[in-house]
Amino acid sequence: MIERFIDLWDKFGGELLKASLETLDMMSTALFMALLIGLTLGFVLFLSGSSGIRPSPLLYGILSGLINLIRSVPFILLIIVMIPFNRLLIGTGFGVDASKVPLSIIGIALYARFTEQSLLDVDKSIYETSYTLGASLWQYFRHFLLTEARSGLILSFTTTAISLLSYSTVMGVIGGGGLGYLAMSQGYQNFHYDLMWLIIIGLVVLVQLIQVSGNLLAKRFDRR
Amino acid sequence: MVRLHHVTKSFKLDEKDTVVIDRISLEINESEIFGLVGGTGSGKSTILRLMTGFVEPDEGEIFLMGQKLDHESKYHLVKDTSMIFQGFHLLSNLNVIENVLLPGRLRSIKKAHNLTRARELLSFVGLEAFENARIRTLSGGQKQRVAIARSLMTQPRVIFCDEPTSALDEEMRGEILKLLRDINQTFGTTIVLVSHDIAVIKTLCHRVAVIEDGHIHQIFRLQPREMAPVSYEEAFYLD
Ligand SMILES: Nc1ncnc2c1ncn2[C@@H]1O[C@H](COP(=O)(O)OP(=O)(O)OP(=O)(O)O)[C@@H](O)[C@H]1O
Ligand SMILES: [Mg+2]
Repeated sequence: MIERFIDLWDKFGGELLKASLETLDMMSTALFMALLIGLTLGFVLFLSGSSGIRPSPLLYGILSGLINLIRSVPFILLIIVMIPFNRLLIGTGFGVDASKVPLSIIGIALYARFTEQSLLDVDKSIYETSYTLGASLWQYFRHFLLTEARSGLILSFTTTAISLLSYSTVMGVIGGGGLGYLAMSQGYQNFHYDLMWLIIIGLVVLVQLIQVSGNLLAKRFDRR
Repeated sequence: MVRLHHVTKSFKLDEKDTVVIDRISLEINESEIFGLVGGTGSGKSTILRLMTGFVEPDEGEIFLMGQKLDHESKYHLVKDTSMIFQGFHLLSNLNVIENVLLPGRLRSIKKAHNLTRARELLSFVGLEAFENARIRTLSGGQKQRVAIARSLMTQPRVIFCDEPTSALDEEMRGEILKLLRDINQTFGTTIVLVSHDIAVIKTLCHRVAVIEDGHIHQIFRLQPREMAPVSYEEAFYLD
C-alpha cells in the first residue's frame, strides 16, 4: 500500500504539485472576486429589491436576471461561450489565467445571490433601528446588516468555495489544468486509476476541511 | 421641542392612497412627558416616525429642537434623539455592552470614554452584572433596559417610545416606567410616549393626545400619579 503510494508519488509527484498549485491559483482568484464583487452585488440586490431601502425594479430586474442567466447555463457551456470574453479581458482564451474568468463569474453570481438571501433573513426593522441610532448609509451596511448577517455570510461563502472547487475540476476544457484535469487525463484516460482515486480522496478531504472550518468560523462570529 | 404643523401623510393601502395622518398640529414642550393614545391603526407609530424623520410628511412641517426636519437636516437632528421600541430592537449578534457601545461607535467617540459611559449607564439601568451576557439570554424587561441604556448613550434631548412596555409583564412594566420617569427628572429629557395602555399614560404623562383616525381628537392635561405598583402584593394592597 505504502509502496504503491511512494511509486505513484515518484511518477506523478511533480504533476500533482503543479496541478494543486493551478487549482489553488484558480480558486483563490475566483474566491477573492466572489467575495469582493459578489458581496457588493448582493448588497445592491438587497437594497434595490422590493423590501430594500432603495427599491429599483429596473436595476434589480437586470441584475437578478443576469445572475439567473449565468447560473442556468450549464457550466461547461458557459466556459466555452465565454472564450471570446476571456480574450477581450485578459488577451487569451485558454490556460489557467483564462480559466479564472468563468470561475470568477460563476462565483460572483452564486455569492451575490447567497448574500442577498442572508440579508433578507435579517430582521426588517433593522433599518429604522440604524436610522434612529444616527447611522449613515455606510454604517447601516457595516454595523447593522453585516453584523447581523455575518454567520450566514460565512456559511454561504463556504458553500460557494465548495461549489467552485467542483466547478474548477472541469477547467481542462480550456486548458485550465488543475487537479480535476489531472485525474481525468492521466488518471482515467491513461489508466492510472490509483492516481485518479488519490485525487478524488484528496478532493473529498479538502471539501470536508473547508466545510468544517467554515462552520467553526461561523460559530465563532455568532453571538446569538 | 417637537412641533408638527398641519402634517399630512398617506400610505398606499390595497392600491389606494389612504390618509393616515390628517393635518395634525401639535407642540410638545421641553422636558415634557407627552403621551399619544389611540386604537390600533389610528396612526400613533406613524406620528413618531414622522417626528424622527424616518417617514417624510406629504404636507406640513415638522420642527425638532427648533429646526425644520428635511432631507438633509434629519440625519443630524435624529442624532440628538433616540427611540425605544416595543420589540427592543437590539442587535442579536452583539452582547449587552456591545449593543450599548454602538451609538458611540457610530459617532466615533473615543473608545475609553465610550466604555466608561456605557458602564455607567448599565449600572443606571441595573444591569452592571450583565455586561457580557448574550441578548438571547435576557428577559424582556432586561432587554428593554439594555435598549434604554443604549438610547441614553448620546445624551438625547428627546426620547421617543413606541409601546415600550407592551411586551412586558406587570412587574417589568413598573420598572421600565420608573426608569423613564427617572430619566425625565434627572436629565430633563423630553419623552414622547405611545401606548394603548391608559394606566401607563396616566402614570407618566403630563399631557396626552388622543388620536382617532389620524386626527387629534383631544388633548388632556394630567397629574402624573404615584408610580405604578411594582408587585402584585402592592397592587392588591392598594385596592
Ligand atoms: N409603511 C407603511 N406603508 C403602508 N401603510 C402603512 C405604513 N405604516 C403604517 N401604515 C398604515 O397606517 C395606519 C396607521 O399605522 P400605525 O402603525 O401608525 O398605527 P398605530 O396607531 O401605531 O397602530 P398600533 O397600535 O397597531 O401600533 C395603518 O392602517 C397602517 O396599516
Ligand atoms: Mg404602532
